[in-house]
Amino acid sequence: MNEIAAAAARLQQAIGLAAILDAACGAFEDMLPVLWDRIDPGEPLFIAMLTAATCAADGRDAVLFAPSLPPHRRPAAPQAGSGQGSVDVVAGAVAGLCMLLAARLAEAAPSAADHGDRAACHAAARYASQIHEALAGASPL
Amino acid sequence: MSRATFGDFLQAAHDGLGPPSGAGSYAPRGSVEEVSRSLLRVVTVMGRYVQDMTAGLDGIGRRARPPLHPWARACLQVREALSNAAWFLTDGGPNRRWPPSPAASPLARRLDAVTVSLTTGRDLLQTHFAPGAGSSWEHRSEWAVVVTSPPVTRALLAEIALLSRRIAHQGAGLALSPPAGVPGSAPERRRLNAACQWLWVLDTSVRAAQQQEPVAAADRDLMAAIPVNDLPPRRVPGGGEPVAVLCEGAITSAERVRHLAWVAAQDAPWSPGMSTGSLRQVARTSTVTSHNCHILLGTLAACTARAGQAQISEGLSAAADAAGRARDRWLRAACAIGQITTETEGHLSPAAIEAGDLALWTGRLAYADPQWTLVSGPAHPGRPPESLVSRPEDVPMAVAAVHQACETLAQLPQTEWEQISAAAQVGRILVPTSTLSSDYDVPRPFARAPHDRVEQLLAEYRGVAQASRQAATAVGEVAVAIQASSRVLVTARQAARASQPTRASKTADHADALAALRDPGAARESAAVREPDDTPGPIEHTLRGLGVSRPDLLTRGAELDRAGQRFLIDATVGINRQHKRPSAVMLSKTTATAALVNNALASGDSRAAAMLRGPQRPQQAESEAEREP
Repeated sequence: MNEIAAAAARLQQAIGLAAILDAACGAFEDMLPVLWDRIDPGEPLFIAMLTAATCAADGRDAVLFAPSLPPHRRPAAPQAGSGQGSVDVVAGAVAGLCMLLAARLAEAAPSAADHGDRAACHAAARYASQIHEALAGASPL
Repeated sequence: MSRATFGDFLQAAHDGLGPPSGAGSYAPRGSVEEVSRSLLRVVTVMGRYVQDMTAGLDGIGRRARPPLHPWARACLQVREALSNAAWFLTDGGPNRRWPPSPAASPLARRLDAVTVSLTTGRDLLQTHFAPGAGSSWEHRSEWAVVVTSPPVTRALLAEIALLSRRIAHQGAGLALSPPAGVPGSAPERRRLNAACQWLWVLDTSVRAAQQQEPVAAADRDLMAAIPVNDLPPRRVPGGGEPVAVLCEGAITSAERVRHLAWVAAQDAPWSPGMSTGSLRQVARTSTVTSHNCHILLGTLAACTARAGQAQISEGLSAAADAAGRARDRWLRAACAIGQITTETEGHLSPAAIEAGDLALWTGRLAYADPQWTLVSGPAHPGRPPESLVSRPEDVPMAVAAVHQACETLAQLPQTEWEQISAAAQVGRILVPTSTLSSDYDVPRPFARAPHDRVEQLLAEYRGVAQASRQAATAVGEVAVAIQASSRVLVTARQAARASQPTRASKTADHADALAALRDPGAARESAAVREPDDTPGPIEHTLRGLGVSRPDLLTRGAELDRAGQRFLIDATVGINRQHKRPSAVMLSKTTATAALVNNALASGDSRAAAMLRGPQRPQQAESEAEREP
């Protein structure tokens, strides 16, 4: 859960296209282990969490090939999710992060001069919205 | 609407011949010339079937040819018999071209109907192939390997023999009928009868193979179930469909995904369809589908337990557990595929798109909500057992749907593994640089995946393949036990394994089947169903013609016919040793001789064939058959 909060903070503080792309890529990367760690076929949120995790990987890939993404990036979070909290709480936190992600990427897209950056912002924003959609209906936001 | 199958046309061929001999047989009527012409067409199309099976052996020198398995030998003897039959029908007689107007003779019309059915049936089988380099054939579907498999080849030969036998009875009946009612010269009659005698020889050759290694009923079912290579259209559920429609939709979807995945596996490694987007979509939706199958199998286990079918229920419970394990492995693969990427982000293959359909169809079956979707959110109550199975006869239908889905889930990881391997070899599997250790200094956000990461991913797919195969096998056992329509998938898999195709070459020769026929490995269950030989012999026939109906006299006549058969066959064997075999036309010289010889040939005694074939050294028959029908 700390990873999600930290990712949200970085995203809020990011200024400029490159920084937003970097923070967005990091946010997708950070939510991946958190989501996978809590996917449990016995849980009601099983399919929603699975969908969210798949979209998170797709979102990361969308940003990963953006021309303005800085070439040297900080190391990704450990594979196993280290946070705490129930599935519902995690789902709520990730849904909230994705709402922010979608907003920041949508906001950054018009400022991008390169078509590749614009496309990356739009695609990543779409994946973030899909994660939010999958988890928001399933969790107490 | 279901697809046309080979069995439809095979059945039409049998139906075209009319009722089986002895059960209201047709009286011999019509022109000998017309019937001969029509018979030639049947023999020609049968020859094409057999040519498909034996093409590869022509390239092997006779001396180098290894000892053949009974079915391989039968295959060559059938080719020889058809070639000889065609020779008698063309020798100075009619050509094989279709006449401008339909035949007038009833038997000729029936034979023409058989030709049309067999030709269309062969065309259906050919839809699974396309011409490849040289004389090879490229596979165009996952059924191609089944078409050329030994079990299907054997079943096909058995059907050709059965048809030949029925045709021989009817054709010889016309050839030997009184000249008054049947126009035709004596030479024409002799040639027609000689051709029919070779059809009996054909039948005898197949019977000999059947005795050593019978064709299993399941193999006949598999042959009949081979569909035309034309997928049913894509459908998605609208909501509120009854269970039967949902089962049908799940089956169609499963068939489509299997075929699309098979096609995708033939693609080049740089195909845009091979993307992490596709791999993730398949892994995600297959996780959901296997979860749905787990739920459905549990529900079916409960239904059957309630109906007192303890053994079936136990099998379904075991299958539900296996589907659960497959789901867990898919989940791991989905996680692993999240750690890599390709540059073709966003591009989804047709198989990946439709894998989602399969999850949707199975989900609509598994859950009570008629509007269930993959993004419906949490906590969906399962469909109540009484809603899934309202009558006992609904169980096979539901099992077939789950079995089809599980078979697809078992095939998908294999094709995905092949695609990932090929893509890795050309450097298309990438990872974010941020996930690499500090030993790597890459001035880009992504880098080629290290070897160990690719190996880990491939290991996950091997795990999924194994677990999914176990689930499909477990459901398949239940499908066979309750005679669900999907049981042919079990036989198809066994047949494909027997063929051992070389996927690497992606081409196959029909001779693969023949080569595999040499392998006596696979044990056959005995279930061959043969039409009883109840055609009267010449004495019984004469008695009936004279109006004798006393059972004791007819029985005595039949005994005399059988004694005559034995006597003639024993005597013929003696003649063969002295190399004094008469020609086939000589054996049809008079009606009386022809009737006796026909009766001996129709007995199915393999020694009787020596009357036509003559003295043979072992394996000689295999090297014959050079005349093309």
